[in-house]
Amino acid sequence: MPYALHTDRLIVGYDDWESDPIDLKVEPGTITAILGPSGCGKSTLLSTIAGIRPVISGRVYVDGRDITGLPAHERTVGMVFQEPLLFPNYDVARNIGYGLERQGISRRDARLRAQELLDWVGLRDYGPRSVDELSGGQAQRVALVRALAPNPALLLLDEPFSALDVDLRQRLAAEVSELLRSRGVAAVHVTHDPAEARAMADHVLNFSDLSV
Amino acid sequence: MIPLAFLLAFLLLPLIVLLLRTWSGEGTRVLSEATTWQIASLSALQATVSTVLSLALGLPIAAVVSRYAFRGRAFVQALITVPFVMPTVVVAMAFRSLLGSSLPQGFLIVVLAHAYVNLAVVVRIVGAQWAQQDDRYVRAARTLGASPVTAFRTITLPYLRPSIIASAVVVFIFSFTSLGIIVLLGDSSTRTLESQILRRTSVLLDFPAAAALAVLQLVVICVVIAIGAAASRQRGRQRPVRSALIAMPARIGARMTIRLVAIITCAIVLLPVIALLEASVSSRAGFTSQWWTSINAIDAGTTRIGSPVASLLQSVQFALLTGVVAGIIGGCAALAVLAHRWGRFVAVAAVVPLGISAATLGLGMLLAFGRPPVDLRSTGLLIPLAHSLVAVPLVVAVIAPALRGVDPRVTDVAATLGARPTRAFFTAYGSTLRTVMLAAGGLACAVSLGEFGAASFLARTGSPTVPIQIVRLLSRPGEQAYGVAAVMSVILIAVTLALVLAVDRLGRRTGALRTSY
Repeated sequence: MPYALHTDRLIVGYDDWESDPIDLKVEPGTITAILGPSGCGKSTLLSTIAGIRPVISGRVYVDGRDITGLPAHERTVGMVFQEPLLFPNYDVARNIGYGLERQGISRRDARLRAQELLDWVGLRDYGPRSVDELSGGQAQRVALVRALAPNPALLLLDEPFSALDVDLRQRLAAEVSELLRSRGVAAVHVTHDPAEARAMADHVLNFSDLSV
Repeated sequence: MIPLAFLLAFLLLPLIVLLLRTWSGEGTRVLSEATTWQIASLSALQATVSTVLSLALGLPIAAVVSRYAFRGRAFVQALITVPFVMPTVVVAMAFRSLLGSSLPQGFLIVVLAHAYVNLAVVVRIVGAQWAQQDDRYVRAARTLGASPVTAFRTITLPYLRPSIIASAVVVFIFSFTSLGIIVLLGDSSTRTLESQILRRTSVLLDFPAAAALAVLQLVVICVVIAIGAAASRQRGRQRPVRSALIAMPARIGARMTIRLVAIITCAIVLLPVIALLEASVSSRAGFTSQWWTSINAIDAGTTRIGSPVASLLQSVQFALLTGVVAGIIGGCAALAVLAHRWGRFVAVAAVVPLGISAATLGLGMLLAFGRPPVDLRSTGLLIPLAHSLVAVPLVVAVIAPALRGVDPRVTDVAATLGARPTRAFFTAYGSTLRTVMLAAGGLACAVSLGEFGAASFLARTGSPTVPIQIVRLLSRPGEQAYGVAAVMSVILIAVTLALVLAVDRLGRRTGALRTSY
């Protein structure tokens, strides 16, 4: 069975900085956490895998498919950012249905699916609400189900709980871990918090250990 | 109190006189004529096409200039402002020079000239917001399966919508009330309410009809502003970030596109200016310096039309008076915001003239103060007063943000150290105030030098301003008149640009000016 994610001597970078070649393998249905201090290049690695930063060299495979040259919207790789980045011009349900609409699903059906996902994360009545009405934790939950809605082959979590307080962070980390496992989605979670990494992931790696 | 008294006397009173003339006399008759509504529709069509064209040209330029870090970006950004600060009469003259005798006068050339002038409005207003867009929203959309076009349509466009609508409203109003470009480049297909107000006033001497047209124009402007305000309301707003330029993209095609847009922008802005410069030193026989040397003694055709140098001196005199009056009124209005809880109302009131056409202002002032019992026209003060009304909104826009940038606690500190209230105030605000008043005064001078609409109603035959002199010269036959008009246009551009650059430099040196006018 192919890896959910395999980076083959992948070099990522920004401005004048470049990483060493990175070899990362993620088994299907598992969660891998990558630990490292701020500014070490963890987020750049995720952005490059998601296709929103260019690859400097090397290859990226998702479910055995070479996605190195594909634009972000053709990669079937979901991503949750440090901040929820919910689109304020849409209500909560439309945010969740956004990716489904991009797959050609009608707005009405996307909304129904969004409602199911909202039930699933305990935000049943929030569909028609403005995103400004959500608390930090609620917004991050919506961002997570928005990324999961289009059924991505791989989910990338870029320190999605870092802006939340400690209690909420731990609670959400456990919740998200459970959600991902129940759906069997492979995920890469980067964080600088070892406790959070251990609470969520099947495998914990240090960013520096990824270099070939 | 000073700004309110000024606005009541020179804005509200003339508007009331206009309304009274419309309804007490024969004014309403013109509103029942089919021609009036035909002209109103033509004005609206012309302004709509000008707005669409300005947006079509301005949005790609805003996308490049406000977001990407490329060599020469600051130069391109400064260059875009040039057409906006050029007097409209000079822009029309530049288009005439560019297209020569083959000039296809009429609709197309008018909307092109309007797009040229208003490019800066779109680029400045939309670009300022675009520069502050948090790019991560677009990235989030891309990871959810949105193509670049879809991400632009669903994320960027809704974010930019208020600024696009705001710039569209401004461009529409400027084009709808345009006069200099219409007079010099238009034909029967581009008759506007503004040009008809001028014709009814100066040719037909039908003041009630002119007043009715001015009121009709004012109503249309109010409706457009109301529609714009309603259309730009939106559900939620992406939080803007501090402006940060994006590095040039890695793909060669994208880099080439960005450079191409920058080069085309420079060409669009510079070509008419270069053509104007060339017209000022060329005749049918080739290169000549004759127009520059004959500037003080031109005899165009059989009629002597007055010395261009005298009109230049007249314009400078009006500009200096405008600088002082607008500086004081605008400065007081901006200070009122700090000093009084009703100050914000004063500042808003001071910006109102921006939405009123120059012809409406000119005609209103002519009717209210142009003849006994109150005849200010013979004193030569009416034009600077009208120009001050036009310039005050810009003066407030320069001074108010600079004063808001001063830490008000400095006043308290000075007071605790024994300074009396006035002394404490000047300790905190004095140096900023000196600088911005000078800058705003300079800007008001530049506005006055190029203003054509109000002056064309208020100028006396013997003392035209430079823009009026240019229009008069162009109505005369012969290449000498054309050449001297080109020379005067070049001088006007040079003086206006020098003033605007000085204002900009002053702002940069002190860091006090934080607005884009």
